Amino acid sequence: MTALYTLSDVTLTVPGRTLLHGLDLSLPSGKVTGLIGHNGSGKSTLLKLLSRQTQPTQGSIAFAGRPLPGWSTRALARHLAYLPQHPPAAEGLSVRELAALGRYPWHGALGRPGPEDRNATDAAIAACGLEGLAARRVDTLSGGEAQRAWLAMLIAQEAGTLLLDEPISALDIAHQVEVLTLVQSLCHARGRSVVVVLHDLNMAARYCDHIVALKSGRLVFEGAPDDLMTADRLLDIYGARMEVMTRADGSPVALPV
Amino acid sequence: MKFVLPLALLLSALLWALAAPSGLPDRLAPDALSLDELLMLYGHMPRGAMALVAGACLGLSGALLQVVLRNPIADPSTLGISSGAQLALVAVTVLFPGLLGWGRAPVALAGAGAAAALVMGMGALRGFHPVTMVIAGMLVSLFASSLAGALTLAQGQYLFSLVVWTGGSLVQTGWGPVLALALVLALGGGLAALMARPLSVLGLEAESARALGLSVGRVRALAVTLACVLAASVSAAVGLVAFVGLAAPALARALGARRPGQILAIAPLTGAVLLSLVDGLVLTAAGYGAEMFPTGAVTGLIGGPLLLWLLPRLRATPPPAPDAHLPRTARPLRRVGLIALATVVLLGLLLTLGRTPDGWSLLDRESLALFLPNRLPRLAGAAAAGGLLALAGAALQRLTANPLASPEVLGVSGGAAIGYAGVLFLAAAPSAVALTSGAALGGALSMAVLTGVVLGRDARPERLLLAGVAVSSLAAALLSILMAAGTMKSFAVLAWLSGSASALTGAGAALLVALLALACVAAVLMARWLTILPLGPEVARALGLPLSAATLGVVALAALATGAATVLVGPLSFVGLMAPHLARRCGLAQAMPHLLGSAALGAALMLAADFGARMASFPYDLPLGLFASLLGTPWLIWLMLRRPT
Repeated sequence: MTALYTLSDVTLTVPGRTLLHGLDLSLPSGKVTGLIGHNGSGKSTLLKLLSRQTQPTQGSIAFAGRPLPGWSTRALARHLAYLPQHPPAAEGLSVRELAALGRYPWHGALGRPGPEDRNATDAAIAACGLEGLAARRVDTLSGGEAQRAWLAMLIAQEAGTLLLDEPISALDIAHQVEVLTLVQSLCHARGRSVVVVLHDLNMAARYCDHIVALKSGRLVFEGAPDDLMTADRLLDIYGARMEVMTRADGSPVALPV
Repeated sequence: MKFVLPLALLLSALLWALAAPSGLPDRLAPDALSLDELLMLYGHMPRGAMALVAGACLGLSGALLQVVLRNPIADPSTLGISSGAQLALVAVTVLFPGLLGWGRAPVALAGAGAAAALVMGMGALRGFHPVTMVIAGMLVSLFASSLAGALTLAQGQYLFSLVVWTGGSLVQTGWGPVLALALVLALGGGLAALMARPLSVLGLEAESARALGLSVGRVRALAVTLACVLAASVSAAVGLVAFVGLAAPALARALGARRPGQILAIAPLTGAVLLSLVDGLVLTAAGYGAEMFPTGAVTGLIGGPLLLWLLPRLRATPPPAPDAHLPRTARPLRRVGLIALATVVLLGLLLTLGRTPDGWSLLDRESLALFLPNRLPRLAGAAAAGGLLALAGAALQRLTANPLASPEVLGVSGGAAIGYAGVLFLAAAPSAVALTSGAALGGALSMAVLTGVVLGRDARPERLLLAGVAVSSLAAALLSILMAAGTMKSFAVLAWLSGSASALTGAGAALLVALLALACVAAVLMARWLTILPLGPEVARALGLPLSAATLGVVALAALATGAATVLVGPLSFVGLMAPHLARRCGLAQAMPHLLGSAALGAALMLAADFGARMASFPYDLPLGLFASLLGTPWLIWLMLRRPT
């Protein structure tokens, strides 16, 4: 089985600063991979590179065995869906219209939407539990509902890989759990791959199968969540002393000392 | 670095001396002087002094505004203060010449004060945000200039000297104005020195300044008033001298001034040297047989590039809040059909409605046959132009996801105006087709500059708007230079600037209608792009949209539509801004109905403006574009006022 992503010597510099230093990394397919790290560690930057929103200054990224620059725009969008950290307001669009935009890579600018497009849109709305809100306008929804509407657009895109940049940062606890459970089920039940940037360490440990941690633009940890959750590792990654405890079900949680 | 200022002063003095008509007269008795010596004593010498004093006034005024508003692009020109003074002076000269008996200064001050109050009011609602304030100011400024131009036009050529004056001519005929302005500068400088310490505290955020025990409102009001007085005095003395107040503090900072006190002290010096240097160059060019351009119009040329250069230094801007209260209809295409039908009915009504000296009447069959060959091209052409502008506006608002975008604001119209004027001046007897292509090319070029900004890395919508306004101001400066040349062609430019449909031929109108039909088809084909583009480049890229191609396609559509329409109605109609908003308020939310509905509403608006232009001073026609902008600018100002942060 080929890796989802293979990165070799990926470096990104902007005038005066190096954001990523020569990353060599491969991400597994069919799993939820969590990107974690302190503020400014480069996790969002890495996700932008993976989604081809920006190009690396140096090094190469291969997606599903092919170099990323070799993909055509629409072919890439059929295989790869990306949700930015702050989705725009989507002024005037209904939930259904927003979800239907996910079909653009399939029907293009002029193609007529067919039954498969409608079915994919309906299924995406159902998967996100938005049936009752389909006619509502996105800019009148609550934060959690709007986030789910954007996820519906990503699901309607029917891409095998989802890239999510802090999808729960604006949500309360109940909605965080709801969105991450949805993401996890998309991956495990439907065989998709997910790469998700997460701020919350405990959420990452609970919902991800694989963790990649960055520190100041360098890779500091790659492996299973259980291996991550030790006081020494977390001190190394975040520069803060944490205490790791075990919950009743045996899973670890970390709290600052 | 510290030698730059003295060297520049030396250079300007050298240029001034080279252009002198004679040596310095060694005696002061007028009877004993030769003509050249008289010119030297009462023309050239006060002119040199005027350049220094006016430049210093503007530099101090700009520095005060920049410090007090914490805004590196504030100055009397960008905040509309100078244009307000100019409009007041033109209006009083045209309408109430008796008021000038008390001198120009009070009139100029009233205009400057009104413009400043308007812009400050808008700024206060948006937290004195730099870019918002300057956009508001530039809009007020563009509107005031167009109104002043139209007033000039309405009064015929004997006011042409006013056009030259509004271009900021530094020509002097005595020492009186210089001494008066020097007195203002001395008093203003003294007051500014007294305020230096409170002003540097205000250089912090308003909250921190208040915490330090400063009465923020009072200091702000006092400093802005002082800046207004300085700018208005310059306007009264020499007319509109643009952007010196913007450049002087920027130069002071480039020379190493950091603290507010330093900037306030050095900006008058840099302003004086800058205006003096520009005037020296104008004099030198005139000495070699070039036209004698008004110096103030030449300084206008530096504004656009300077703004574009300062843009990356501005602090980040909060995006305007989305308006969740706009209605949204369930059957948008039916509503578009109804609007289009209403527009056609309006066209039919205006074709048959006539006004006679006795009153209103519907034309009978006979007179209809008589009027139709005249009226149909005019009305159909005006409607098509309105539709094209509105379509361009809707496409641009969707492309930039910015509710304030429009062909007028984004400089497309300004570029089209440059293209039009260029063809007019370069060709001996330009055809209508040449003028149209010139305007379209100019519009496309200015759009190309802006697209560079859009496709650039950090293209926030408000910056795009500011870049567009910068292009507009460059266009305005070029046009005022061309107009100040004072030939018959200048008058043609002035007439076209305010826009008139009466000269339209049947073929021209048919061309515009055909273009509108084509543009509607193109807009329908691009509807899906225009649904996704408002969501921003990241989402568009993630969905596999060919971003560069889509942006270029929309830009080309908007530029062509604007170029064609601008030839007819002039660059300042604001229909392209208004119609898309009206369409949105009619509940047309999705891309395709929004675009088509905007086109229909734009056509209806332009028909209404044409009706108003014909009827307001019946039986004479007013310029169509002017009438449309009279409707549009208050709308725009209302729009900015009701969008709180």
